[in-house]
Amino acid sequence: MNHGITRRNLSLGTVAAGALGSLAWAPSAWAQTAKQTPFTIVINSSPWFDGFRKVVEAYEAESGNKVNLDVNPFGGSLEKQRASVRTKDGLFDLLIMNGLYYQEFYHGGFLTPLNDIDPAFKLDPQMIRYDNTVYWNEATKTHDPAGKLMSVPVNGNIPLLMYRADLYEEFKLKVPETWDELLANAKKLHNPPKIYGIVQRGARGAPNDVSYDWWPYLYSFNGSLFRDEAKGDFTISINSPEGKAALDFYIRMAKEAGHPQTGGLAQAQIIQNLATGKAAHAMLVIAAWSQMDDPNKSAVVGKLNATRAPRSANGKSAPVLGHWLGGIPKNVPKARQTAALTFLNWFQTRGAQVKYLQSGAPPVRQDVLADPSFASDPKYRWMKAMADSSAVTRQMWTVPEGSQIGDVLELRLNQAVIGELTTARALNMIADEAHAIMVRGGYKTGKITPLA
Amino acid sequence: MSRTATPVPESVWRNLALTPSLAVFMLLSLLPVANLVAMSMHEIRWEDGRSTWEFIGAAHYARLGGDTLFHKGAYNTLVFSVVGVSLQVFIGFMLAWAVSRIARGRVVYRTIFILPILVPGILIGAIWKLMLNYDFGLANGLIGVFGFLPVDWLGTASLALPSVIMVDIWHWTPFCFLLLLAGFESLPQELHEAALVDGANAWAELRYVYLPIMMPVIAVTFLFRFMTSLKVFDEIYLLTGGGPGSSTEVISYTIYRTFFTQDQMGYGSAMSVAVLFVIAILLVLGFGLSRFRRGAA
Repeated sequence: MNHGITRRNLSLGTVAAGALGSLAWAPSAWAQTAKQTPFTIVINSSPWFDGFRKVVEAYEAESGNKVNLDVNPFGGSLEKQRASVRTKDGLFDLLIMNGLYYQEFYHGGFLTPLNDIDPAFKLDPQMIRYDNTVYWNEATKTHDPAGKLMSVPVNGNIPLLMYRADLYEEFKLKVPETWDELLANAKKLHNPPKIYGIVQRGARGAPNDVSYDWWPYLYSFNGSLFRDEAKGDFTISINSPEGKAALDFYIRMAKEAGHPQTGGLAQAQIIQNLATGKAAHAMLVIAAWSQMDDPNKSAVVGKLNATRAPRSANGKSAPVLGHWLGGIPKNVPKARQTAALTFLNWFQTRGAQVKYLQSGAPPVRQDVLADPSFASDPKYRWMKAMADSSAVTRQMWTVPEGSQIGDVLELRLNQAVIGELTTARALNMIADEAHAIMVRGGYKTGKITPLA
Repeated sequence: MSRTATPVPESVWRNLALTPSLAVFMLLSLLPVANLVAMSMHEIRWEDGRSTWEFIGAAHYARLGGDTLFHKGAYNTLVFSVVGVSLQVFIGFMLAWAVSRIARGRVVYRTIFILPILVPGILIGAIWKLMLNYDFGLANGLIGVFGFLPVDWLGTASLALPSVIMVDIWHWTPFCFLLLLAGFESLPQELHEAALVDGANAWAELRYVYLPIMMPVIAVTFLFRFMTSLKVFDEIYLLTGGGPGSSTEVISYTIYRTFFTQDQMGYGSAMSVAVLFVIAILLVLGFGLSRFRRGAA
């Protein structure tokens, strides 16, 4: 009996796949009829932007509505968004805000709750809530699902553990679930300067490198920046024994199986090392995946796989958010607000999300991420890890002062990584400086007993 | 009775003619500074889409006194400027002297030497970041040929600032070279001939003839370059981001992060005003020194 794929079966399969794809991308009736005024999206030029652009083009073709894209570098996009919302008449109608800075737009009262534009608008149940960061309770200043819907997720950047599947097979390694298992695997593959067991973003970043890379360790070791942010207790708790254990482990990983210059590695160098085959593991945002399988940019095409961020022995996996949210400012005309919301409404449909995936961007709908017909495709082999991570991902902080605290974290954590400060001293300094920031911000805050 | 019109003095006409442009200049330069000073005395917050300005007097300035990162930035900026500009002026002077002695092909050398200054800052950052890359950089490739281990030029705290100073020297020495070459070219040929008649060799000629006579040009070149060097930003932003640790933190970068990344407009303004004040003092001292030297001469 021949179990091989015949040419006829292959042809039938291709036709069927094409038909399914067309069905998935069938235009929705309302989008065809809802004619809207042109509106402008201000967005960053991240690696997933090309996928977003293609989806916008598909929307324009399907609806006949005009969308202008104002594309900028990361920092430039933030500056334009700030400038626009702080004037009487805003220029931009849809702000694509990063998880590190959207807070200032919520707290500053610059955004319109989406149901104020259209009371009937609902976030699709399949859309991922990303630690409920789409909601905002003005009274409690928290991401309370009972609060108002302020934004729609546009990109779900989450760090995944990317690993060399070919080496795992060769060395018969088990995909790690804990940091200890990851360290053991990294040590087995560590053979510098040919290949490093793991590469970590230990640099002092602008805006965030080392803190973003370390945060999954912090959370999974049961540490946190604030004692109970959700309940309004902003006591600084980062210099707890759990925080120290997390930082000690992060540095141990760098010393025993990492790059010799971890303190100088930013995201670009991590991607470079992984793509050139010089690293066996890295925690990287999913946006970086597209170039790993691009033969023009990668020496490890087809050799990488991804899994959820590991956890500590007694903790949970806690990949942190670096996601992007789409919010609509108050200071633009109602017609443009409606046009932007119409686009967001279309964007959250399954068809649009499938198109988004096929255009090279990670989708933000759970049913698309978990769809076995995609997840079984080797091209989308990262999707299961992404779906697993989306369910447990957590936000780093929810206060606008996070941008100030982020700078403190970057400096002190980097000093700990390069050995200028002990881990206890670095965490105590972070606690002192973060406390001063929160006091100036008028929060209910405090400090815990410093580390010895 | 006849009336004789008193002629208006020329200085009055000159001042009247200058007044409009002076007014525009004052408006464009003083207004932003005044706004900066006003912001520096307020805590600015945003609520419900509107800004609230709370007057806090000199509290931001008082905070500067305890800001260790600001102090480190000021210290690094001073080291960066003094070391970098001194070397740029020295190398530029030597190059200018050498080129001024060339009878034929001077234009070719001049063109070659000024090339780095024509390269945009963003490209310089990209070029040197690649050249100094630990794993793939040309610098480590070159020293590897001689059996040396790779060096993390930008990622090692003790090496990062010297590495950035080196890039700055490469970038800005042509500026000093051009100014000093213009100085050399303005000197009368008779000086050289007189030195030859007196039997001076090249070194003696440089030491006893050109160095003293070029001193005002050297001083002005140093001063100009020093002023611009204090504003260094692009090289730090592109190469190190102030790290590792705070080893390459400079004042402009601290202000940038405070103002833009952290959105602390009041405190960022206070930093800017403080730096403006220090630079103004340096400027006055520099010009005072220059006038004193001229007077002494």
